[in-house]
Amino acid sequence: MDDSGSGERAPDEHEPRRAQIAALLASLTTDWERRADETERFREVVRALRGVSLEEKLRIAGFTLHPVDHNDIEQSCETCMYYLVHRRWCELPEIDLPVRAEWSCNVWRI
Amino acid sequence: MANLLWLQGGACSGNTMSFLNAEEPSACDLVTDFGIKILWHPSLGVELGSGLQALLNKCVSGEIPLDIFVFEGTVVNAPNGTGEWNRFAGRAMKAWVKDLSAAAGYVVAIGDCATWGGIPAMAPNPSESAGLQFLKRSHGGALGQRFKSKAGLPVINVPGCPAHPDWVTQILVAVASGRGGELTLDEFQRPKTFFHSFTQTGCTRNMHFAYKVSAPEFGQRKGCLFYDLGCRGPMTHSPCNRILWNRQSSKTRAGMPCIGCTEPEFPFFDLNPGTVFKTQTIMGVPRDLPDGVEKTGYMKLTAAAKAASPSWAEEDIFVV
Repeated sequence: MDDSGSGERAPDEHEPRRAQIAALLASLTTDWERRADETERFREVVRALRGVSLEEKLRIAGFTLHPVDHNDIEQSCETCMYYLVHRRWCELPEIDLPVRAEWSCNVWRI
Repeated sequence: MANLLWLQGGACSGNTMSFLNAEEPSACDLVTDFGIKILWHPSLGVELGSGLQALLNKCVSGEIPLDIFVFEGTVVNAPNGTGEWNRFAGRAMKAWVKDLSAAAGYVVAIGDCATWGGIPAMAPNPSESAGLQFLKRSHGGALGQRFKSKAGLPVINVPGCPAHPDWVTQILVAVASGRGGELTLDEFQRPKTFFHSFTQTGCTRNMHFAYKVSAPEFGQRKGCLFYDLGCRGPMTHSPCNRILWNRQSSKTRAGMPCIGCTEPEFPFFDLNPGTVFKTQTIMGVPRDLPDGVEKTGYMKLTAAAKAASPSWAEEDIFVV
């Protein structure tokens, strides 16, 4: 994290990949509206994420470039259990991608 | 000298195995140092057939004073409430349990099956199993809500699957040495000295719990097992991380989520597919939150804790 007090982090080696994902998401229609509210749905999504391309992964997981407000809960990577704050990484094994704090996906959990 | 009798109902003998591995004190110490006479035990008793029957009858009649009656396993009531599926020494075990409990100074239920029914009492419970004084959370069980032993205590419940060896022997020593009256029991009749704190108390992953760093896969040394792998440590009352297993470890220390085996609901969710070793969530929020924590507070705490987490919390700090 920088020491400017802004809370923004310095770019890291994975920033080009994040930029690539952001560019993909800008034109990709994802399943973001199908939130994995129940454990069973969560398992379905996770199963579907195995062994697919990056684009498919983003589509199935329902990635967005912004937080999603779902039933009065703001769901963003920043508060998700799988988000590593310092690495800015999603460590859900089936996703395992560099992400940004303000992004969101439908397997968000806290 | 305190006479102890140990019988098994619908059991796997796991608690007997645990008991025989006790160290502080050991099963032998009970006899040599604490004056406990083991009248009979399924793995230690020498009487068989009519000899055993006579011994049990003498305990029931009072000819042999029965100071401590220990029961392991469920009380089997099938078929149709008769208990005939579990016959022992010439009659239904449930009949022995009732008569021996009435004659005993103290009655101690060891393990989940004897305390609340455990795995055999899972739906549809074909053996009509019950614990001695509970069936899951429901008070009553085989002996009924009002049962008290001659010493004036209800059944002393020492749950676990199995119960830790030293929980067993330490409670037996307390009772045998005349300190049974000093035991304080919780609402499920568990001795508070063991079951007032949580499994999480003393867990080596507490830092990761505090900073909300998850272990999404087994075999990781970093990360908390609560968030993804269904660990019940924050909701389970047991001293598993205070009184260590084999004197050196516990489930959570070894990377295995706590399965909540000292709680009446065990096994949780009736072991339905997808519920074991997976945190159950509703709209992304764990269905079962740490004891005493409500949803809004949990979400606020989690967001704040993640924002404040140091970088080392994302690393494996247990360097070999």
